[in-house]
Amino acid sequence: MKLFSKTIGCALLLLLAGCASQPHTTGVIERDSLQVDPDVLYSMTVTELFEQRIRQPDGTSILQVQFAVDAHSDAELAWKVSWFDANGMMVKGVADGYRRASVLLGQTRYFKATAPHPRVTTYQLHIREPQ
Amino acid sequence: MLKRAIVLTAGVLMLAGCATQTRYVDPAADDGPVAMTMDYRDFEKAATEAVEDMVASGAVSNPNGGRYIMVVSRVTNDTMQRIDTDQLTKKIRVALLRSGKVVTTTAVGLNGAEDEMSMAARELRNSEEFDQSGVQKKGTLQAPDLSLSGKILQRNHTVGKEQQVEYYIMLSLTDLATGLAFWEGETPIIKRGSNDSVSW
Repeated sequence: MKLFSKTIGCALLLLLAGCASQPHTTGVIERDSLQVDPDVLYSMTVTELFEQRIRQPDGTSILQVQFAVDAHSDAELAWKVSWFDANGMMVKGVADGYRRASVLLGQTRYFKATAPHPRVTTYQLHIREPQ
Repeated sequence: MLKRAIVLTAGVLMLAGCATQTRYVDPAADDGPVAMTMDYRDFEKAATEAVEDMVASGAVSNPNGGRYIMVVSRVTNDTMQRIDTDQLTKKIRVALLRSGKVVTTTAVGLNGAEDEMSMAARELRNSEEFDQSGVQKKGTLQAPDLSLSGKILQRNHTVGKEQQVEYYIMLSLTDLATGLAFWEGETPIIKRGSNDSVSW
């Protein structure tokens, strides 16, 4: 009797364990490095987007990105870079706000941003038109 | 009498309805108007440029491994506004700490320690009231390697019917062992607006 109830108990436990939801494991979702607001595309074109890792004296390296815009008319833009580690988690920088810039007709301007931590591996550049 | 009270109440309600509603501003998505005075966006810009440049230059990367210890020295406010320069230096400190390359000491300062508790906690030494195993030992405080100093300048000009206000945020990072400035940066913030605007 005791053995029977133990067997039933074990079977129930296994059944419950089988029903438990499996841990949600997703792979790293691919992010586009460049996110440009369509309104901005009328007034300027992003012509370059480079990235490099700068060697540091302590042996680590820091990700740096540079982009260039060619202006078709005098325009304002606002840009910011979001930084991510190897797991796709966001790494906080100094501030979350957009940086504003002006570009003149026919002008090419270069903008640079440096990652806040050596563990940053990827980034997303946002360009939009300020209101 | 009742008529007057009704008119008064209606007037107050009308005025209250016209008042601008108070709302939260999200610093990550703020397209609000720009003030002639220095606002939080200016400090963010200056701090971001300074920290990114410091990190990219390698000036805050210790070749012997480990983190540099930084102390915040004097940041002079040479503007017509009452600015607490901590608004700028705190952002830089936080970002450098997050970078894993620099840690700031609060036990030393030009006008005394920023946090006097480091020394106060040591006054418990030899006190019979305290378990001495938990009291800080002699020679454990860390001396700084780097010092952050600077100046915020303001210049006003009249340009036609407008005024131009120029702010210059100048910062230096000095290696205390040699007295040499390992890193220096300047962020100009130029604003042009109505002559009626006040920049102080």
